[in-house]
Amino acid sequence: MHEVANTPRGRGVLACIQCGRCTSSCPVARVTEEHNPRKLMEMIILGLRSDVLSERLPWYCLSCFTCLDRCPQGGDVGEVMFAIRNLTVREGKIPEGVLIQAKSLFENGRVVTASRMALIQREKYGLNEEPSVDVEAVRQILKKTRFDKLISKGK
Amino acid sequence: MKYAFFAGCLIPAREPQYENSVQKIAPKLGIELVAMKGVNCCAPFSIQSLDHTSWLALAARNLCLAEKMRLNIVTLCNDCYESLLMANTILKENKETRDEVNNILVDVDLEFKGKIDVKIFSDVLYEDVGLEKVKNAIKRPFNGLRIAVQPGCHLSKPKRLHFGQRMGVLALDELVEATGATSIPYERKEACCGGPLRGINDEVALRVAKQKLDSMKAAGADSIVTVCPFCYLELDMGQIEIKRHVKEEYDLPVLSFAELLRIAMGMNLEDWEIKTHRIPITKILNIVEAK
Repeated sequence: MHEVANTPRGRGVLACIQCGRCTSSCPVARVTEEHNPRKLMEMIILGLRSDVLSERLPWYCLSCFTCLDRCPQGGDVGEVMFAIRNLTVREGKIPEGVLIQAKSLFENGRVVTASRMALIQREKYGLNEEPSVDVEAVRQILKKTRFDKLISKGK
Repeated sequence: MKYAFFAGCLIPAREPQYENSVQKIAPKLGIELVAMKGVNCCAPFSIQSLDHTSWLALAARNLCLAEKMRLNIVTLCNDCYESLLMANTILKENKETRDEVNNILVDVDLEFKGKIDVKIFSDVLYEDVGLEKVKNAIKRPFNGLRIAVQPGCHLSKPKRLHFGQRMGVLALDELVEATGATSIPYERKEACCGGPLRGINDEVALRVAKQKLDSMKAAGADSIVTVCPFCYLELDMGQIEIKRHVKEEYDLPVLSFAELLRIAMGMNLEDWEIKTHRIPITKILNIVEAK
């Protein structure tokens, strides 16, 4: 629990009283039993480290922040999800879709790049060029935060 | 009214018709959008999920560029809004974090000072331009159109970031109603569209979208109006996918609120812009063309 609580977004776990309001307001918990934020908080509190930092569990959260607004304790469940995803990633577990975005960020300075079609469309219809990006500056920052090393661990 | 314009990545890359509509209506309402040069990704949730410090440093770099322009940032996308607003708030409030981030930014010759604010375009229209001025600009009202407004989560959540503001969802409702249409209440209005799970778990994402669409249909909506470009894609494309997988049809055209305003203000969409909509928007266009 303290490993999570000591990360920048993980403190909320200390306030959790297991009331379950997060789960009852969660749009993902409504459609699949695989995601249950209350239970995930419980697993963190109990210190079930390898179960929490698994490949799938931390990645069901939409970060819609409904739970943040509804938690009576200020337990910041949605924020704790960021904390455990950060920890999972350090162990090299990154979903493929996220890894693609991370690589694009490092290569292009943005996570979504315009398709050739969109570029042609923009030019044809007189829109400005796609907003300019300073890729070098992005890489400099990401090297300093060791982001490049981090994502190279991803499968 | 002058702003540093942060267009984001998804809108320019996938929804140029949204950006084009913003560029068309802004000058008519006295808004000057100055393009930000050499910005980077806002660092959305996927990047925040990977590494907290990298996110803060990237978001801070964008904020610093706007500080240099001495202008407040205006974003279109809910995710850019949330990322930049949250980073701006954290960095203004927390000296320790600010020092840590500035220590990274020193390498690119920047320093976060905390001199600007972050806004989203709908709030600019509501708060800075004012509802009256928007109403006066309407030439072709959408009387009788029943719209399910899809605000998108991060227009107003988490509430602590938006404390004391009468903006966000309420502002959007009033802007939509300024066009003569009705913003109808529906059960899942404040719920997520499922979009953030795209690329991670498509099947669950679609189930979340379906709940939303079911609830819109049950409330008798004619169409959907969004702010967020992710909701826009998810609900437009999602309807096609749901039709393919579970044979359920909604026929709810999706428009960004900028397109809605543009049409209501008397400016037509171009053919290529109409064609970008996967669910045809002809029934919406017919309402104004009949006038």
